[in-house]
Amino acid sequence: MLFLRDVGSTEVGGFGLTNPQDLLFVEDFVMVQQVCSAVTVAFDDDSVAEFFDQQIDAGRRPETFGRVWIHSHPGTSAEPSNVDEETFARVFGRSDWAVMAILARGGQTYARLQYHVGPGGSLQIPVAVDWSQPFEATDWTAWQQEYVDNVRRDGPLRGGTFDKIRTSHAVTEFLTDHEWLLQTEKGMS
Amino acid sequence: MKCMYINNDGAGFADYIEIPEGTTVAQLFAQRVPGGQPSDYLIRVNRQPAVADQVLEAGDRISFTPTKIEGACPA
Ligand SMILES: [Zn+2]
Repeated sequence: MLFLRDVGSTEVGGFGLTNPQDLLFVEDFVMVQQVCSAVTVAFDDDSVAEFFDQQIDAGRRPETFGRVWIHSHPGTSAEPSNVDEETFARVFGRSDWAVMAILARGGQTYARLQYHVGPGGSLQIPVAVDWSQPFEATDWTAWQQEYVDNVRRDGPLRGGTFDKIRTSHAVTEFLTDHEWLLQTEKGMS
Repeated sequence: MKCMYINNDGAGFADYIEIPEGTTVAQLFAQRVPGGQPSDYLIRVNRQPAVADQVLEAGDRISFTPTKIEGACPA
């Protein structure tokens, strides 16, 4: 996810695939087709439907793939915008629970769990990387391809620059999508 | 008759359901998503976009998936 955040000059987004035993534990990040600018990201509706079909064919339940909405912000702020809030309420407001997670290029993260069972409520949850989990080796080529395959650029870019693939990541940024994991301190029960 | 039904609302649903013969897409939507706006969903039958008065057949796969998932950074 960090790679995809930084590989292009656009925002990116996708869904977190979570562990069926721990629904807030994000094990993988999947992009769908999307139109992105430097400051916006809009998923393609057909691609979202296709993603649901594929995940169900793979034997997953909607609660493990359709509840954690992740996108990036270009600057240092991961605070949700009005557009983010509107999408979160409209799209995920009928689900028992959902998480909106935002990763800013500056490193800030934001994650909020909203639940609609019982009295309902919402709480910000800490984002942590669980280093104890095994993860796949980094695969820049595949990730770069994932970006190229899914992101269609829209609108002017900041400063009018073209995308430039970053090839020298600091070691700390050298993380796989398995490593960008959301965890709660069991605060939801 | 049995149809496969997929929806992310509530606890999420991806299973076979029993519906009466002759049920249309619109009827199923009204029954499954009471108070919901059809425009907030992409409704597909057998992975193809469906129209409201389409009559469902046994074995169909119906999905109601979210639309207009948009993010932006604060202005
Ligand atoms: Zn945003």
